[in-house]
Amino acid sequence: MTIAAQADDPAGTPPLSAEPRVFRPNKPKSATHLRFLGSLALISIPVFLFATLITFLLGYASGLDPAAGIAGDAATPEVIARIRADFGLDRPVAIQYLDWMAGLVRGDFGVSWFNGVPVLQLILQRLPVSLSVAGAALVVGIVMGSLLGIGAAIWRGSAFDRAVTAFASLAAALPPFVVAIVLILIFSLWLNLLPAAGYIPFSEDPAGWLRIIAIPAMALSVDIIADLARQLRTGLVSALSENYVTGAVVRGLSPRRILFVHVLRNAAGPALSMLALRVPMLIGGAVVTESIFTMPGMGKMAADSALRGDVPVVQGTLVVSIVIVLACSLLINILLGVLQPATQRRD
Amino acid sequence: MASRLIRNRAAFPALLILAIIAFLVALGPVLAPQDPLAQNPYELLQGPSAQHWLGTDAFGRDVLSRLLAGSTVSILASLLSVEIGLILGVVPGLLSVFLPRSFEWISLRLIDALMTLPFLVFAIAMTALLGNGLIQAMFAVGILITPAFYRVSRAAALSVANTQYIEAARLMGASTAFIIRRHVVSKVLPAIAVTTASMTGACLSIVASLTFLGIGVVPPEPTWGGLLATDLTTLYERPFGPLAPGLLIVATVWALNALADVLRDINALPEEART
Repeated sequence: MTIAAQADDPAGTPPLSAEPRVFRPNKPKSATHLRFLGSLALISIPVFLFATLITFLLGYASGLDPAAGIAGDAATPEVIARIRADFGLDRPVAIQYLDWMAGLVRGDFGVSWFNGVPVLQLILQRLPVSLSVAGAALVVGIVMGSLLGIGAAIWRGSAFDRAVTAFASLAAALPPFVVAIVLILIFSLWLNLLPAAGYIPFSEDPAGWLRIIAIPAMALSVDIIADLARQLRTGLVSALSENYVTGAVVRGLSPRRILFVHVLRNAAGPALSMLALRVPMLIGGAVVTESIFTMPGMGKMAADSALRGDVPVVQGTLVVSIVIVLACSLLINILLGVLQPATQRRD
Repeated sequence: MASRLIRNRAAFPALLILAIIAFLVALGPVLAPQDPLAQNPYELLQGPSAQHWLGTDAFGRDVLSRLLAGSTVSILASLLSVEIGLILGVVPGLLSVFLPRSFEWISLRLIDALMTLPFLVFAIAMTALLGNGLIQAMFAVGILITPAFYRVSRAAALSVANTQYIEAARLMGASTAFIIRRHVVSKVLPAIAVTTASMTGACLSIVASLTFLGIGVVPPEPTWGGLLATDLTTLYERPFGPLAPGLLIVATVWALNALADVLRDINALPEEART
């Protein structure tokens, strides 16, 4: 677009001042801010209620109970009935549900049907493992995905851009466990660089921790890298053709400033929303990687407990996952509100 | 749509791969040169040979036969899950636009709740708790992909709901059911076709993950995911083992994604984030 055309365009005619007008969010008015936060939190409440209801009903529909496991094969009907009464399973469903919800609010997730350990304690023991892997995958995914996406948008049409596009379409077809197997082959079997199984807590040996979560985190991050790169590239390319970019170029802003201060802020929206959708999948993906790498994580515990019929543990892990997912999406929505104040306006 | 799809050059590799897979699914168990379950203690962990093209596994079973026999279960299970998700998603998705607000609100919150559930954990929990079987696994996966179909069909229905011809039909006394059947479904179909293609790929990958973990289909029954699981335990002896089942999964999912992209281009639909 030429300067003459720019002048004809009413939207793109800011005053040509020495200090370029940077797009800043308005000074936050705390009332609108609070209302925005409140509306976000309010949306999460029915979602939490529905998701936990599904979780509860799943356990109820399974028809499983701990009696047979505890009492053994020689149990009389009286013994089974007493055990069921001990666990409160002889009460009406609605009462059981309300009792369960009341427990959740107090942080009481019940006890495992198999070893009698409180479910929350079991989960808290294993959560650091899962969070290490998922968190590392998220960090690797965000860093690599942003680099690839921004690079592809800057040099669009180049060999790099085409390579990123090809990688993204291939990666979308790669299940994490297939990636994990390939990475084990390369890094453990052939190069003998990284361990392929086990877990070392960060507090014991940070270097060992990093080595042991390297392959699982890489395997889980491939998906995120590909999706983020694709979303960012699309967003950036369309934002780069906007009038305000031409205006900024004309006013002599450096390309770097245009990209990082102006364009990225507007192009990051869809990519951030995509990340919010990725979190449940990341937690789910942890199940497979944890069992491939025999890590004592929450996902592996959920799978093992499900196969054993340990309903409270399965429900507990689902509830904790739901809380994590909701917290992450709340966080990302707040971030979106800060980056793009227009998203705070709701009708 | 079909003729334009066949004439589209970008669709060719995808359609070719899918045709090969369809052939394997239809004839896989027949093509299998040996019994996929037959163990042979004298031929453990062999490399590729004239007799065993892909070698044998830790029980001396012919890998090629297991791969071919496993194709049918792997593909049919994902197709059925997609069908379940399609019905459970599209029907309320369309209705949410036309039924009273209360239905819309409840269905939207339910879909949000489903999207909040950690995908694989929930699929595993549901399958295992309801009696570890293929039917349970397909329902679990089908329910979990419902949001994709719900959102796509709702968005497409919203875009036509306020058009003049629907208003005209309403003024002439057409019932909601008639309007949906006559006017809305045809407008929604292209978007649903795109989602079906990409979701079939997603389901294939999820079903493979589940069977990899021994959930849904219990060993020794062969599946693509199950084959990878046995390959993982003998990775040191047969490092090339995961290649064949891995490639089959990746190629099929890639072809389905490519098909979805082509369908999207043909129908000039906007790009949407894959879910």
